[in-house]
Amino acid sequence: MINKKIIIQVLGLLLIIEGVFITLSFFVSLYFNQYDQFALGITALICIVLGVLIRFTTKKASKSISKRDGYIIVSLVWIVFSVFGALPFVISGAIPSYTDAFFETISGFTTTGASILNDIEAMPYGLLFWRSLTQWLGGMGIIVLSLAILPVLGIGGMQLFVAEVPGPTPDKLHPRIKETAKRLWIIYIGFTFAETILLKIGGMTWFDAINHSFTTMATGGYSTKQASIAHFQSPFIHYVIIFFMFLAGTNFTLSYYALHFKLGKVFRNEEFRYYVGFILLYTVLIAGVLMYFHEFSLEQSFRDSLFQVVSIITTTGYATADYLLWLPFITVMIFSLMFFGGSAGSTGGSIKIMRVTLLLKNSYQELKRIIHPNAVIPVRMNKKAVPQQIITNILAFVVIYMLITIIGTIVISSLGYDLDTSVGAVAATIGNIGPGIGGVGPVENYAHFPVFGKWFLSFLMLIGRLELFTVLILFSPAFWKK
Amino acid sequence: MKIIIAGAGEVGTHLAKMLSVENHDITVIDPVADNLKGIDSSLDLLTITGSATSFEVLKEAKVKRTDLFIAVAHSEETNITAAIFAKNLGAKRTIARVDNNEYIEPENISHFISLGIDYLIYPERIASREIVHLLGQAEISEYVDFSGGKLSLYVLKLGENAPVIDRTLIDVIKENKEIEFRAVAITRNGETIIPRGHDYFQVNDLVYVVTNKSGIRDVLKYSGKKKLDIKDVMILGGSRIGKRTAKSLEGRFNIKLIEIDKLKSAKLAEDLTNVLVINGDGRNIDLLVEEGLPNMDTFIAVTGNSEVNILSCMLAKRMGVKKTIAEVENIDYIDLAENMGIDTIINKKLVTASRIFTFTMNSKVESMKCLTGSDAEVLEFVAKPDSRITRGRLRDIEFPKDAIVGGIVRKDKGIIAKGDTHIKAYDRVVVFALPSAVKKMDNFFN
Repeated sequence: MINKKIIIQVLGLLLIIEGVFITLSFFVSLYFNQYDQFALGITALICIVLGVLIRFTTKKASKSISKRDGYIIVSLVWIVFSVFGALPFVISGAIPSYTDAFFETISGFTTTGASILNDIEAMPYGLLFWRSLTQWLGGMGIIVLSLAILPVLGIGGMQLFVAEVPGPTPDKLHPRIKETAKRLWIIYIGFTFAETILLKIGGMTWFDAINHSFTTMATGGYSTKQASIAHFQSPFIHYVIIFFMFLAGTNFTLSYYALHFKLGKVFRNEEFRYYVGFILLYTVLIAGVLMYFHEFSLEQSFRDSLFQVVSIITTTGYATADYLLWLPFITVMIFSLMFFGGSAGSTGGSIKIMRVTLLLKNSYQELKRIIHPNAVIPVRMNKKAVPQQIITNILAFVVIYMLITIIGTIVISSLGYDLDTSVGAVAATIGNIGPGIGGVGPVENYAHFPVFGKWFLSFLMLIGRLELFTVLILFSPAFWKK
Repeated sequence: MKIIIAGAGEVGTHLAKMLSVENHDITVIDPVADNLKGIDSSLDLLTITGSATSFEVLKEAKVKRTDLFIAVAHSEETNITAAIFAKNLGAKRTIARVDNNEYIEPENISHFISLGIDYLIYPERIASREIVHLLGQAEISEYVDFSGGKLSLYVLKLGENAPVIDRTLIDVIKENKEIEFRAVAITRNGETIIPRGHDYFQVNDLVYVVTNKSGIRDVLKYSGKKKLDIKDVMILGGSRIGKRTAKSLEGRFNIKLIEIDKLKSAKLAEDLTNVLVINGDGRNIDLLVEEGLPNMDTFIAVTGNSEVNILSCMLAKRMGVKKTIAEVENIDYIDLAENMGIDTIINKKLVTASRIFTFTMNSKVESMKCLTGSDAEVLEFVAKPDSRITRGRLRDIEFPKDAIVGGIVRKDKGIIAKGDTHIKAYDRVVVFALPSAVKKMDNFFN
């Protein structure tokens, strides 16, 4: 049975949390004293009042959250957050159309970073801050945040955690989910803080440093500048951002071990090795092309190549250069990177290194199995055999992912776009990357899509962030059968 | 408290379920991944697939910082080894479940303590003791004594002839001003509620009543129960529980024990001198009738098979046996069996879990007991000076709605709690608490 009461109550509670964060943005707008004060203030009020009303008008529900409730809650939370999070943009008039504002907000919460803004620098600071904050909250996850700070979700928390945390199998850092969530958030906040300081040292203003730290750690990619990171012509800033994008794309459990000086555990981790391996391979290839064909200096080609590679593989979507201006070979390479994604348990999106690696290994073993039909050939990860069930799950995931990409491309092209733009937009939104190829490249944006296109892409972002199954399962008849 | 449970069998799983709602940090170890799957996705705890006797696994479970290590795997060898390792690696307290009566003889226990096992637990023995204990008050389903019987919790099933049927608590109180008992809870269709003044009693309700000695007569009167004198007992199944029960009861009652296995019967007959051991199949009605089932006062079914136990008890009931006790190991069946009219259900896991559970409570809890028919617990506290519970009359201190004070023992006198009762320091307080309230009790008694 679906426990409607608990679903509504949890949503109400989370709405209060959103209200608190909008209030934070409201204070920023007060500080800079711009026209967005009223919009942020009133939205914060709406969220908090509505949340409190729900809390006090609904009767006490039984606290049990079933698996089904978990999937519904998690999917709805992200939608509700975007619905209300879009209000400040509309009320202030900074983004007049609600469709555009919703697109911008869900793109924030899902850490996609696809924008419809044609002039980011014209936006008031309070709204820019809120825009970056949406990514920061979405990065580690709204549910994970609430598990860490709310005692109320105690028992059913596990169901929600499983439905939101990326990766085939979530790791726990502590027997209790609340403690695990707390540790994850502490690391997340710590890294954000460290990056802010370093970016400030690199010459950014405090405002830019904080905003960029928010969106780096979330692998979101919203910038406060129209030209993204290319605006800051400082190699130091570029390297700092590369480093933190890399961290954000690493499993946070590994960061936890590294911070406890258990480096062996980090370097022995197979997913981490593949992650580093893929990055190095792509960087060297692209840097070579840049040096040979575009006659960049060694440092420049290494930095530009590394930055774009890390930015795309972690699904951040920052840019220091327009890769579409480089050789088509590079464009295709970058495009293929869009299907890798960060590690499991990171803030990165897309398919994830863990799945890609297991898939490659399984394919290789499949060849062996054809030669030795009776052999028992396990797929190993970190020296342990991976259960066949997980492999099947991953195969299904990748097939559905590709299927949606193809169908999505057809849908977008039916709106009159060419192949590059259609496939680029779909891959960049379902993978939560942001910039794609063609008409949605790093210097372009998503403003030119018609209303239907924007809602469709918003949906893709949501199913991408929640790793397909959590949302898609709601559309299966089996889910609703009693 | 950090707790490691080794073995996700039935006892382990049940313990994990009970403890995880109480804010403990729990890690469950089991070598079979499938055993862990269920609890991993539904409970707030950590699971590790691996052997509990592996040092690597124990270290991964952070046994060094563990307060309580509970080894409840299937084999006692695993449990003993795991508990010894855990203690040596730094676990503060260890409990191992054993299947051998010899181990828990008082003269042998010291060997285990010197090896590092603090407490041995033998579920079959606990279960058989429970049966013997319950036969002391055969007319009721289950009872627990507090402070040496000055207060008791009685669990009664209401039959159609009970005078309280279709009456409310208020009705009962009106009729009898100086009432010496208090109905603290009702389990109806598997759900336990704490009754308020206007709740009605219904047929088949399982009612939990706290009473003192002088109230017992009234309790029996209102529930329509008559005092049962037991002379003849039939035990079905020569399992370890059956054997131990027969052993403790022999001499006091006339006992017939039915065992299906020939060799086992011979061994039982050799060990139990005052018991008539019959070799036969308990599912054979003719045999049971021939052996005088209709004339028995009590029928105890403790074969290894819950279904056989339930069915044979129902048969006994139909033949007119007044008291039937069935061992039901499948927890989902308990409710069902209770509704089908079996008087008392025994469950090894629950009694074991109850016992282990006391280890996880703070020292101020004097005793606690999980009840078979409900997931609620009965706890006995000693009120500390200045604790919240002593700060006013019960109705004024905002005592949680999902718990109820049944009575107190003050200076050797059992007093039944009422709304205007004021608890004083050092009173022993008997509290009936639903699972959601157990945690809150700390606030009131500390």
